[in-house]
Amino acid sequence: MEVILSVLCQGMIYSIMALGVYITYKILDFPDMTADGTFPLGAAVSAMMLTGGMGSGWTFLTLLASFAAGAVAGMLTGLIHVKCKVRDLLAGIIMMTALYTVNLRISGKSNVPLFSSETIFSNKAIDGIFQWLLPSSLNSYKVLIIIVVASILCKLLLDLYMKTKSGFLLRATGDNATLVTSLAKDKGLVKILGLSIANGLVALSGGMMAQYQRYFDITMGTGTVIIGLASVIMASNLMKNIPVIKNTTAVIAGAVVYRGAWAAVMALGLDAKDMKFITAALLLIFLVISMERKKKVKTHA
Amino acid sequence: MKKTISAILRMASILSMVMAVTLLTACGAKDEETTKTTGASKSEMTTEADGDTTGETAAKGDLAESSYTIGISQFAQHGSLDNCREGFIEGLRQAGIVEGENLTVDYQNAEADTGLANQIAQNFVAGKVDLICAVATPSAQSAYNAALNTDIPTIFTAVTDPVAAELAGEDRMPVGNVTGTSDKLPVEAQLAMIREILPDAKTIGIIYTTSEVNSESTIAEYEAAVGEYGFELETVGISSIADVPLAADTLLAKVDCLNNLTDNTVVSALPTIIEKANAKGIPVFGSEVEQVKIGCLASEGIEYFQLGVQTGQMAAKVLKGEMAASEMPYEIIEESSLYINGAVAEKLSIEISDEVRERATEFFTEIE
Repeated sequence: MEVILSVLCQGMIYSIMALGVYITYKILDFPDMTADGTFPLGAAVSAMMLTGGMGSGWTFLTLLASFAAGAVAGMLTGLIHVKCKVRDLLAGIIMMTALYTVNLRISGKSNVPLFSSETIFSNKAIDGIFQWLLPSSLNSYKVLIIIVVASILCKLLLDLYMKTKSGFLLRATGDNATLVTSLAKDKGLVKILGLSIANGLVALSGGMMAQYQRYFDITMGTGTVIIGLASVIMASNLMKNIPVIKNTTAVIAGAVVYRGAWAAVMALGLDAKDMKFITAALLLIFLVISMERKKKVKTHA
Repeated sequence: MKKTISAILRMASILSMVMAVTLLTACGAKDEETTKTTGASKSEMTTEADGDTTGETAAKGDLAESSYTIGISQFAQHGSLDNCREGFIEGLRQAGIVEGENLTVDYQNAEADTGLANQIAQNFVAGKVDLICAVATPSAQSAYNAALNTDIPTIFTAVTDPVAAELAGEDRMPVGNVTGTSDKLPVEAQLAMIREILPDAKTIGIIYTTSEVNSESTIAEYEAAVGEYGFELETVGISSIADVPLAADTLLAKVDCLNNLTDNTVVSALPTIIEKANAKGIPVFGSEVEQVKIGCLASEGIEYFQLGVQTGQMAAKVLKGEMAASEMPYEIIEESSLYINGAVAEKLSIEISDEVRERATEFFTEIE
């Protein structure tokens, strides 16, 4: 039971990050490496605000601040790509590298524990609400409930945004950039906006992760992009044949399933050393099965 | 073509379903296994390794009370940390808790991935182990956090600064059901030893990794202490192993000797550093016996194996119920041991006085 609970918690936190990767990889068709830097950026911002001391009711502000910090980082990646005409992959890598220093500067040291600080998961205000709302037997689900509410909120807001004019332009930029230009809109600006939102989400997820695991560590961003990509690719596979399910929902499910597969492999007694290889293999298998690459090559030919 | 694609897609969804099912059954199987302490039948879904455990527990049904399962979560693979882990198991053995007899060890290495460290800790908690042994800071934090609302004690080792990691208070007492040992380096003893061997040296150089919190706190200690021994400190921070050669070149132009911490990344690149330094006739001091073996001039450090043994003995007390982890202050090794490599001294034509030589725990005459 605990394993399922922890898979759901971690999976749902990562799903917010996966939504961000979904925007860049699927919608904008932009291979964004910034996420490896923005995930710990959000964590650092949250950690520093919490250790600095926040009022109980205001801990959620850390998430907004994380989002804002990530959005700025994403915007810079966009600016580097659009204004300085640096290739998309490189722009992300440059930003990711720079963020390592930024993160260390924000946090001051490479590991910031949060055991004695209030977090979004445990503070007087939220404990009070839950005491009033839930029977104490369900208290162990408190963390999960908060995470689920947060990730569904992110999903719904993203869904709403996608239906606005700006959201349509975002989708059009990835699918058919010429159309955007012919509508007299600047596709560069749309890309910058998309990268901002995406990295904001990634940072928000990082902020939540730091509070969930109760420490910030500078290395926690390693492999973020790959987890995000795996989730998104799994999502598009799992849910392709079910038209009722929105893509964003599928991404959340994908992140949870990916985390689940991971936990299953470990529970089956596999050595943790082999995890990275399994991640790579899973990703490859899913890519090959979905023929995603082949299709892409065709459309461009 | 379309047909094949849809067939493949179907296969994909089946595959994912299978994975989800395996997850559920795997968890189920694990839960079952732990609740059935004297269970005679092997769970069908368990792997070979798990099967063995079940068999053992069954065979020792009458000893069920005094047999333990512990989880070891090690943050990275690294000579010192490995020694620490082996020492830990030895410490338990000395207290009568022997692996394979009345102890089952589930060892997992997070390969320096904090996400993985979390998952490992949570799997241990879900598997209801009797105790989690966490090696190095992020693993210790993950384990403590995962076990926060359970009665599973966490015993950490190789955490340089448990106070900064919020695993213990200023008075060394634990913040919760967590205690262990610190691998704090004996900075003063090391500086005194360097002064003894190099009476004329002015500047000490240290290369450290900016992502390792242990190195940061040790550097701060060095900064505070060097003046007392008449040294100046030059440090260069690196972010990955690829930066080592350049960092070494930069530093070697400015210093009289190099001093090496227990910094994981730098230790991995130690041969490069030693080679570059020795080419310029500059000695490199280590922090641990393994480093002296491969070519550091000397080290006044702690022995990780011994640290592990000490930790294992603490864990044994907790396992046997003699003391709760929450009432034991964390421990450090007070005594340092001196190791000298004579072959290196000869190569750099540095004379080691007999006085120093006699004090050494071991004097190596060759470079490994």
